[in-house]
Amino acid sequence: MQYGFLHDDLDANGDGNIYAIIADDVSKKYRIPKEKKITVYENLMALVRGGAYAYEEFLALNRVSFSVKHGETFGIIGPNGCGKSTLLKLLAGVLYPDGGRVNINGRIAPFLELGVGFQPELTAKDNVYLYGAIMGLTRRNVDQRYDEIMDFSELKRFENVKLRSFSSGMYVRLAFATAIQTNPDIMLVDEVLSVGDESFQMKCGQKIDEIRKAGKTILLVSHALDTVQSLCSRCMLMDKGKMVVVGKTEDVLTEYARARQKSK
Amino acid sequence: MWVIEYRELIRILTISDLKVKYQSSVLGFAWSLLNPLLMMLVLYVVFSNVFKASQDHFALYLLIGIVSWRFMSNGTTSAMTVIVGKSSLVTKIFIPRQVLVLSSVLSSFISSVLEFLVLIPFLLILGAGLSPYVLFFLPIHAIFFLIVYGVSLILAALYVYYRDLNQIWDVLIQIGFFLSPIVYPLTTVPQEYMNYYMLNPVTIIIQMHRDVLLYHMLPSLSDIAISVFAGLAIIFLGSAVFRRFERRFAEEL
Repeated sequence: MQYGFLHDDLDANGDGNIYAIIADDVSKKYRIPKEKKITVYENLMALVRGGAYAYEEFLALNRVSFSVKHGETFGIIGPNGCGKSTLLKLLAGVLYPDGGRVNINGRIAPFLELGVGFQPELTAKDNVYLYGAIMGLTRRNVDQRYDEIMDFSELKRFENVKLRSFSSGMYVRLAFATAIQTNPDIMLVDEVLSVGDESFQMKCGQKIDEIRKAGKTILLVSHALDTVQSLCSRCMLMDKGKMVVVGKTEDVLTEYARARQKSK
Repeated sequence: MWVIEYRELIRILTISDLKVKYQSSVLGFAWSLLNPLLMMLVLYVVFSNVFKASQDHFALYLLIGIVSWRFMSNGTTSAMTVIVGKSSLVTKIFIPRQVLVLSSVLSSFISSVLEFLVLIPFLLILGAGLSPYVLFFLPIHAIFFLIVYGVSLILAALYVYYRDLNQIWDVLIQIGFFLSPIVYPLTTVPQEYMNYYMLNPVTIIIQMHRDVLLYHMLPSLSDIAISVFAGLAIIFLGSAVFRRFERRFAEEL
């Protein structure tokens, strides 16, 4: 896997476009052990008995290839268990591919779950700095954006309150505001847009739209087909770890509807 | 290089680790000093008759050895569980996972330096005095840091897969305590075992600490060279093991 800052020369497909994400023939196998062994003792006993390395393999991703152009909003759809989340985790660098290559060109912000790394014992302010650091920002970078984060989350009054006294709505608002302010080149979004109350949701939607128009790359994984339709220019349909079709959103959605009709 | 890119995260994690360590008990820092002092007293009472004749300032001799060893034992045991303990930073977002191990060992390093600072008044009270060579303490401790960090990388990676490793390591640390020259002088080790005995790199570190703090002399150049080499070798091995095992961390957690 390769990570890099935004180079203008990632033109691996040779067609003159600048790509933000290129997944080339990516496969991921999960190992499902016949018997879960998590201690030295259990592993030693299994060695004595034989069959120490017995596990089944589950192919979560089967040779998936696609590329996302810089500035594009790309959707991934498919039924539960089709490998969407695995793919997202691979792109985020959390999982390693067993085959193929993932190239990411730019700073990536995975919105797999909001508020990762937040510590309830720290104040809201400290958590903002902590999250910024997790995203690889320097202290000065966070300083510059701090006021904007507090304005957006509407939590300025509570900046010195420990996070454990926050309501879940406040928590999510702070998390979203911080994450969005890290100024990523590429955003991976896994259905986290349904946060907070209605007015805050609207604000988030607007913000995402703003980011999209500012020419950032967004990769959206969602079951909400109307969201995909309204945001994404292209998307990919997956099923059972395989790529079924990639193309214009309308075409892919039609294909998806037809496939679902058939399976009924 | 990830150390530079994520320096802010390393700083924050190290400080919050120290805060948790010292805020969780009422006496905080005092507890972490009481432990080695009590241990020194017990060992002094038990062993003073055996080794006192051959060793000047036996109490300080013990104390330096104990405080040194505490960095090895505390540093590795707390760093071992850090990947499992902070699993959301491994499974939900990408950061270089070495950051977690490094900041845990850094926090133990700072604690250890503080413990040594408190030791300095004891050097004066118990009549050993101070010399300018004290300034070499920090470089020597930095070499020690290389060793502890390297070992911690291996342990933290393996602990993800083998969750009873902490119990096994507790026993090994106990054995290591008595296989290092902490309670007895190096001269009591039989000559024929000396070559094997010196394979433990912590031995050299403890001896060098005593050189600069207790004996008012410079450590020998060969001791410095050997320990630096051992430190770098362990870090190299540790990083290789860590990278190898890191690939499936997110699946195992």
